[in-house]
Amino acid sequence: MDTLVQALINGIAVGGFLTLMVLGFSIIWGVMGVINFAHGEFIMVGAYMAWFARSEWGVEPLYSALPIFLIMFVVGFVLQKLVVNKVIDRPHLVSLLVMFAVSIIMSNSVKLIAGADFRRVNSDIQRGFWELGDIATIPRKHTVVLVVAIIVLVALQTFLQKTRLGKSIRAAAQNREAAQIVGIDIKWVYAFTFALCIGITAMSGALTSTIIPVFPFMGPPWALRAFVITALSGLGSVKGTLGAAMFLGLLESLVATYAPGSSGSQLAVITAFGLLVVTLVLRPQGLFGGLRPVDAGGH
Amino acid sequence: MNKSVFKTIGLVSAALLVAMLFFLPMLGHYGNDSTLFTVTLLLASVGTAISWNLTGGFTGYVDFGHAVWWGIGAYTTGVLMSNESEWIPQQWPLVPALIVSMFFTALVANLVGRLTMRLSGPYFSIAMLGFFVFFREVVRVAGPLTNRGIGLTIKPVINRPLWYYITLIFVLFLVYLSWWLRRTRFGASLIAIREDEIGAEMRGIDTTRNKVMVFTLSGAITGLLGGMWAYQNTFLDPDIAFVEVRTIDAVMGTMLGGLGTVAGPIIGMVFLFVLRELLWTQESLLQTHLIVQGLLLGAVVLYLPKGLMGLVRGEVAFLDRFRERSSTFDGMESAVLEAQESPISDSEDEHPHDPVALHPTWDGRTS
Repeated sequence: MDTLVQALINGIAVGGFLTLMVLGFSIIWGVMGVINFAHGEFIMVGAYMAWFARSEWGVEPLYSALPIFLIMFVVGFVLQKLVVNKVIDRPHLVSLLVMFAVSIIMSNSVKLIAGADFRRVNSDIQRGFWELGDIATIPRKHTVVLVVAIIVLVALQTFLQKTRLGKSIRAAAQNREAAQIVGIDIKWVYAFTFALCIGITAMSGALTSTIIPVFPFMGPPWALRAFVITALSGLGSVKGTLGAAMFLGLLESLVATYAPGSSGSQLAVITAFGLLVVTLVLRPQGLFGGLRPVDAGGH
Repeated sequence: MNKSVFKTIGLVSAALLVAMLFFLPMLGHYGNDSTLFTVTLLLASVGTAISWNLTGGFTGYVDFGHAVWWGIGAYTTGVLMSNESEWIPQQWPLVPALIVSMFFTALVANLVGRLTMRLSGPYFSIAMLGFFVFFREVVRVAGPLTNRGIGLTIKPVINRPLWYYITLIFVLFLVYLSWWLRRTRFGASLIAIREDEIGAEMRGIDTTRNKVMVFTLSGAITGLLGGMWAYQNTFLDPDIAFVEVRTIDAVMGTMLGGLGTVAGPIIGMVFLFVLRELLWTQESLLQTHLIVQGLLLGAVVLYLPKGLMGLVRGEVAFLDRFRERSSTFDGMESAVLEAQESPISDSEDEHPHDPVALHPTWDGRTS
């Protein structure tokens, strides 16, 4: 019983940081129709920035997260102007290949600068556990991420629903041409969306750098989880992303807890991709709401 | 300058290249074991790129997890030939082990292809990357069969030049296979699937069957190359058998040379190889080759989508148009020829692979 409660708590904690990690991927795909293949690499860069801030200046990842968000917001804006804008009207495959190239460049550049060693970011705030009676313990590092994830989710949902720019983003996601007809500056909307999502993604990397090992090629498994969750939740849906991330977090946690021997973490990865395969095969259009690719060119 | 001149230049340089490769082991200093080791690896990469091109180029299904077949083939050979696997401790001889590896990889590719080949464009790409990670983890947890991911050792190669010649002949056969396949009815059906899958299906092509067949063939070739690599390398573990760089190389080489052309993967891989060797001669540039490769891939996709072959062909088309302005008939003929030979048509823009695009609603989006 205790083991089960502990596994569920861990699952929710993992679900929290998965939500934060995946949102950017889901929104970029939903709004711009671009599959951000370099998603995991943006998480990696955020984690490395947090590691640098911690080891050079002793800044906690929790505090460096906001500056990292702002820096990567600017980086995302520039990248959108230079690269993504050029492929947005081309077929999906072109944007996929270009982002593939971006991911190769990013991971190998980081390897060149910082080396290929595994790094762990330690944190004083996020150390230790909260004891929940005799039943279970809640690791603090996960709680911090979970709280930030909830704050970001609420802020993002409010932004998308209430503000003028948020409504423009949703309009652009629904119908590109109609949005342009009613006078929405589509280029600005795209640039802002991309920058915002890259910022959030890098911030999630910074926060989770205390939990997961940081190395230049850490990206692909996280990018794949992002794809699994997006395939389950449908594109660009904040609530759906939360639900699917929690589901995957719980599933991985249960597998890792009850798997025999020391193979738990590997079996968790296998479960995640097993889920992806099952989803894609049974419902290629996604489980809830479905994957609706934005038409290139808006026709 | 016309097409036949380009063709002659191409054939002459191809013949020179093959002759050079054949005489390499006899060139004393240049033909030493370490050079042969490197060139054998280059040949295996060319073979992988050719097999990737069968699905990625001819059929239009861009596979981001192609290295999984290499890994599965390598591991099958490793398990059979090494005595470190607890379930199969017998050390099999080379040839049966390689044959079993090829057929086993083909079987797995067939099963995977039945699932993933139903997906459209980007979904297929990412699902294949998923399978790549999936099988790497499976090998790690497979316990007594694969020595728990610690690694397997195989008895070393006895005769390096002989092994080099075997690889060379196999890769030459692959070039021929790819050239021949492009000219068969089956090859034509693959191009039809790439250009307009729904149209191909309406014209009575069993698209699913053909897609799974070409995917299986592609997997079998890469599996065999992986097995051969395992034998040459004498040691393998999950991290060196399942390497993303092999997929990157195959995608990169094919895109650079020309997607969906027979010569494309060869030209592209040789170009990449030369580039890499040039970068590696400078100590300071040693680590940068993948960054350069990434920049190159981005530039090729954005500015040269038809690759080096497209550059050559584009030049021909341009010159022909210039010359044939006087004769309408010639112009039409060359347009027809060009349409037949064009490696990738612009109809890709309509993304015919989207199953959901079949049912557009009033606003052109899907329900």
